[in-house]
Amino acid sequence: MATSVYIHIPFCKKICSYCDFCKFIYNEKWVGAYLTALRNEIKDRYMDEEINTLYIGGGTPSSLSISELKRLFNILKLFHYSPNIEFTFECNIEDINSDLLTILKEGGVNRLSIGIESFNKNNLAFMERNADFKDAKMKMKLCRNLGFNNINLDLMYALPNEKMADLKKDLNYILKLNPEHISTYSLILEPHTKAYINETSYASEELDYKMYLYICKTLDNANHYELSNFAIPGYESKHNLVYWNNEEYYGFGLGASGYIDGIRYTNTRSFKKYLLGDVVKEKELVNKTEQMKYEVILGLRKLKGINKKDFQKKYNISIHEAFDLKKLIKNKDLIEKKEYIYINPDKLYVMNEILARII
Amino acid sequence: MDKEKIRNFSIIAHIDHGKSTLADRILELTGAVSKREMKDQLLDSMDLERERGITIKLNAVKLNYKGYTINLIDTPGHVDFSYEVSRSLAACEGAILVVDASQGIEAQTLANLYLALDNDLKIIPVINKIDLPNANIPKVKQELIDVLGFREEEIILCSAKTGEGVQDILDAVIERIPSPLNLEKEKTRALIFDSYYDAYRGVVLLVKVVEGKIKVGSNIKMMATGSTYLVTELGVKTPKEELVSELKSGEVGFISASIKDISTINVGDTITTTDNEANLPLEGYKEMKPMVFSGLFPTEPNKFDDLREAIEKLKLNDAALKYEPETSEALGFGFRVGFLGLLHMDVIMSRLEREFNLNIIATSPSVVYHIYLTDGTSLIIDSPNKMPDQVKINYIEEPYILTNIISPSEYIGSIMELCQNKRGIYKSVDYLDPTRVNIHYEIPLSEIVYDFYDKLKSYTKGYASFDYELIGYKVSNLVKMDILLNGEVIDALSIIVHKDFAYSKGKSIVTKLQKLIPRQMFQIPIQASIGSKIIARENISALRKNVLAKCYGGDVSRKKKLLEAQKEGKKKMKMVGSVEVPQEAFLAILSEE
Repeated sequence: MATSVYIHIPFCKKICSYCDFCKFIYNEKWVGAYLTALRNEIKDRYMDEEINTLYIGGGTPSSLSISELKRLFNILKLFHYSPNIEFTFECNIEDINSDLLTILKEGGVNRLSIGIESFNKNNLAFMERNADFKDAKMKMKLCRNLGFNNINLDLMYALPNEKMADLKKDLNYILKLNPEHISTYSLILEPHTKAYINETSYASEELDYKMYLYICKTLDNANHYELSNFAIPGYESKHNLVYWNNEEYYGFGLGASGYIDGIRYTNTRSFKKYLLGDVVKEKELVNKTEQMKYEVILGLRKLKGINKKDFQKKYNISIHEAFDLKKLIKNKDLIEKKEYIYINPDKLYVMNEILARII
Repeated sequence: MDKEKIRNFSIIAHIDHGKSTLADRILELTGAVSKREMKDQLLDSMDLERERGITIKLNAVKLNYKGYTINLIDTPGHVDFSYEVSRSLAACEGAILVVDASQGIEAQTLANLYLALDNDLKIIPVINKIDLPNANIPKVKQELIDVLGFREEEIILCSAKTGEGVQDILDAVIERIPSPLNLEKEKTRALIFDSYYDAYRGVVLLVKVVEGKIKVGSNIKMMATGSTYLVTELGVKTPKEELVSELKSGEVGFISASIKDISTINVGDTITTTDNEANLPLEGYKEMKPMVFSGLFPTEPNKFDDLREAIEKLKLNDAALKYEPETSEALGFGFRVGFLGLLHMDVIMSRLEREFNLNIIATSPSVVYHIYLTDGTSLIIDSPNKMPDQVKINYIEEPYILTNIISPSEYIGSIMELCQNKRGIYKSVDYLDPTRVNIHYEIPLSEIVYDFYDKLKSYTKGYASFDYELIGYKVSNLVKMDILLNGEVIDALSIIVHKDFAYSKGKSIVTKLQKLIPRQMFQIPIQASIGSKIIARENISALRKNVLAKCYGGDVSRKKKLLEAQKEGKKKMKMVGSVEVPQEAFLAILSEE
């Protein structure tokens, strides 16, 4: 039983230098064929559950034309929406206009996730992206006017040669746009990306860490609910919380991943195979031990941590029996307070060290 | 078998001078192995030689030649192990000394020859590889005459590769090497010169019967431990195993007697039979004293029993291995193990890892020190942690060696510089011929234990060969140096150093540890101290970032794999106090770079 759906739209007008998601340059012919295949996949696999969260990501979903979007929303009618569904659509800031927003609104979208990433010239040049504050401000206003009151903005930091002052400016601009939600990421160089192949070097760890501290401090009015995510209380991403709560979800589309009936699966990244209906590439049957590992790896990303009672209920074993946490709690790497176990916020940025000791 | 018609001999040589090829050729010539089989054998033994020494296959082979029984007793393993050579030689009356026609005498040629002479063996000098284009037969011949004192007519020329001269060698074995003494009617005494563990038969002993005889059904007694066993099987290797009903004086073979308790067997021990029991064990087999000691600890604490079992099994065919349990605050339960040298230690370490699948941490090797206390008493220690308080010590003595470094003369300068840096005392330089020298220095053994051999090789582009003998103890100004991680003394990292070198050594060790120990969640000071005085310090700065910034639905499985890999990496580390230390850090102290 899954009540969350992710749909991948693997098209972009331009490829960002650091992106390792599954994506292609937009091409009209391909989009048509893709939407047909997507429809088939959904029809094949969707088990008619009521859907609480729906997330259209990419790629760049906003790269589709109005008619393509209309077709997409038609396909989405296959799903039964719950009355208070959270329906997120990812947009590139450059693509936003009233036509797009109208169609999204009509299609039931009630949350926008807008990739801005930075306003800094050097950062934008490295990322091979565009953004302009004035333009962004105008577009945010448009969104507000058309009734979108739940908006996430993405911000990247620790880009090559970025200085602390650059981040401060960027963050300031982002705050001026008054989003309900901010996702921040320091740069990760993934293999098979242009940035990686060009042997880009990371910012120093010290600076990266200081930038992270600065972001946390600056956003301390917001709810810092996940390692990289901040929200006005009540505007946390329900969809993403499904991942971090280790709950099941559908993943449809090229290269998408899902977790259904105890199986984690990943779809093919081969366009050709996908069109031919050869959709799933990998499957992992997750047994109880592995499920509990996922629970910890994902759950401890949340600042609130893992609810011990929920853990016990879900796995019929207490988290202390399942994992040896004594030493980590004694060291104050983990904190146990009331019903929760969570990572010491001071150590969040080295959480892999802690997770590797738990699993 | 007529005693007059038995010959027991070994082949001794510097490494790569052609010992194994000659042995193979002899097997072929005596028809023990057909030419076709020979090739297989060669290939096998090459692999084995690398993995575990040639011991298993070729240990004591019984061959027939011109109506004689000749027992070729291989000097097993690496020729650097002079003790191994020595125990094989104890079972022989003669030895073939092989020298490479293009290389001449090397350091181990000398060392092995001296061992053979100590055992009172008849030596047959052979110049091998005469077919090589760069063979210099007259020069090498002259070296054998001038340096080793052979007569020209004694020297046999051969090419083990082509087979030329091999027959002459076998003839010389028959003519020159004496037969074993006929002592069949005496009390039974047999020398155990090797042993190994067979999963079906238990411990198998390789023996030379010196006096009396042993039969299937005999009750045998180990003279050192007093344990008795009923002989179930006797045999010889030809090199295939061939069962016999008895082994008589002068003969070499193997005994199996359902021996399960490894600890009752000592290589070098004498076997007697209860129906013809000897009073005294055989002499002539010198017990080798380990010179280098190191603590061996399993990385995973629950592997202690596995380590014990593995060391016991290795000791079966390695009499020189000595061990006792040791406890370290940092590393837990392990063993203090004595080795004959660093190479020996290396071989044991890799055998433990490869054959027994154990992850081992070795602490920095120590030699044996004599400590004289102010109260007039003295003690002997093999570990820095047994060192008494500095104020109670009157003086300390450490073992010294005398080197044989044979090298082209152009490297004299750099070799002398190296020896000087290792606290060496110059003795002499002997010219073997106008272009080759034998350099003698007295050097503290502890300096050799570190990186001397590697350095010598790099200083001389690999041309120098090296051997040494222990010459005794000398007073030295030594101190114990401790290493502190995060303010705590790590017992496993303590070493004994010369006071004049303490500062630079301390600095190089903390610098090296700083590089080897990965950053952790907190800052870690690394200090070197003598007593309470800190002489060097470095910091490992705290880890700032180790996080998966992004983790959504599509990333989950991959991120879990990353974390699992990170966890595997942690397994190779040892928790020392609150610090994770990689295995190699414990040996960091070994080399100076």
